[in-house]
Amino acid sequence: MTMRNAAGVIFFAIVAVFFIFSILSLHPFGDFGEEGDKYYLEPKMDDYIIDNAQNETGANNAVTSVVFDYRGFDTLGEATVLFTAVAGVILIFRRLGK
Amino acid sequence: MSGMSKIVKTITSIAFPFVMIYGLYVILHGHLTPGGGFQGGAVVASACAMIVVAFGSIWTMKKIKENQLSILESIGAIGFIVFAFLGLIILFDNSGIFFKNVFANSVYLFGQSVEYASTTANINTAGTLPLMNIAVGLKVIAGLFVIVLVMAYASNKIKERGD
Amino acid sequence: MTEDLLISLIHIVVPILIIAASIVAIYLKDLIAAAIAVAAMSLLLSLEFFILQAPDVAIAEAGVGACLTTAILIIAIKSTKRMEDEA
Repeated sequence: MTMRNAAGVIFFAIVAVFFIFSILSLHPFGDFGEEGDKYYLEPKMDDYIIDNAQNETGANNAVTSVVFDYRGFDTLGEATVLFTAVAGVILIFRRLGK
Repeated sequence: MSGMSKIVKTITSIAFPFVMIYGLYVILHGHLTPGGGFQGGAVVASACAMIVVAFGSIWTMKKIKENQLSILESIGAIGFIVFAFLGLIILFDNSGIFFKNVFANSVYLFGQSVEYASTTANINTAGTLPLMNIAVGLKVIAGLFVIVLVMAYASNKIKERGD
Repeated sequence: MTEDLLISLIHIVVPILIIAASIVAIYLKDLIAAAIAVAAMSLLLSLEFFILQAPDVAIAEAGVGACLTTAILIIAIKSTKRMEDEA
C-alpha cells in the first residue's frame, strides 16, 4: 500500500466516524422532544408553517410557500448560483464554438 | 453529429410535446401540486436536451441562438428580483418587508384566500408565488438548455476542425 | 399489513440497487456505459425519494440527474476518448 492510499484510508475513516456519530445524535423521526430538552423549540417552526402557511400565503402547497416566501433568500442564492454557472459556461465555450 | 437515425427523430418528435406539456404544468401549478419553478424547468430543459441529442446541435443552433436564451434567462432573474422587491413598496397594504407576499389575500391578481386544511385546487390563489414560479421556471429552462446546447455545439466544432 | 411489508421490502431493495449501480459505474472501463450506470443510479435515487414522500426532490432528481447530467457527460465523452486507459 502506497503512502497516498494509506492517507486516503485514514481520511475516509475519519469522515466515516464523524458521520456515524452525527447520525447517532439525531433524534428519531417525528419526535418533538420533552419540555426542557435542548432542541425542544426547533420543531415548533414546522408546526407554525403547517398551521399558518395556507392562511398567510394562500398556497395549498406548503413546500412552495416555504421555498418562495418564508425562505425566499435561499431561492435568491440558488438563482445566483445558476446564473453564475451559465455565465461561466458561455464565457468558456462561446470562444471555442466560433 | 448532425442528428441520429430517422427512428430516433420520429420518436423524439412524438414524445417532445408530452414532456413539454408536463413540465409547463409543473411550473404553472407550482402552488397547488408538488413541484415548482426549478423542477418544471428541469423537465422542460430535459425535453430540449432530447431535441439537441436527436437532431444535432448545428440544426438546433440554427433555430435558436444562445444570445436569445441568455436574454430569456436574464428576464427570469430580473422578474424574480422585481417580485421580491414588490414587498418593499409601500403602495400595497401590509408591505415594507423584502420577499413579503403582497398579493396574497388581497383584491389583486392571484389574490383569493384559502381555508385551513383545504385541498381544493384553486389556481387564482397564493399571491406572488405563481409569478415567482414562472420567473424561476423561465430562468431554469434557459439556463440548463443553454449549457447543454453550447457544450454540444463547441465540441462539434472542435471535432470538425480536427484538433 | 402486507402493504407495510411491501414498502419495507422496497426500502431495503432500492438502496442496495443504488449501491450496486454506483459500484458498477466505478469498475466499468467503457465510459459511456459508466455514464448510463450513473443515470440508472440517479433514477433509482429518484424512486427512493418518491417512496420517502418527497415528490419535489424526486422530480428535480429525475430531471437533472437522469437526463441533463447524462447528456453533458456523453457530450464530454464524445469529444475526448471513449475507453478508460489501463493505467
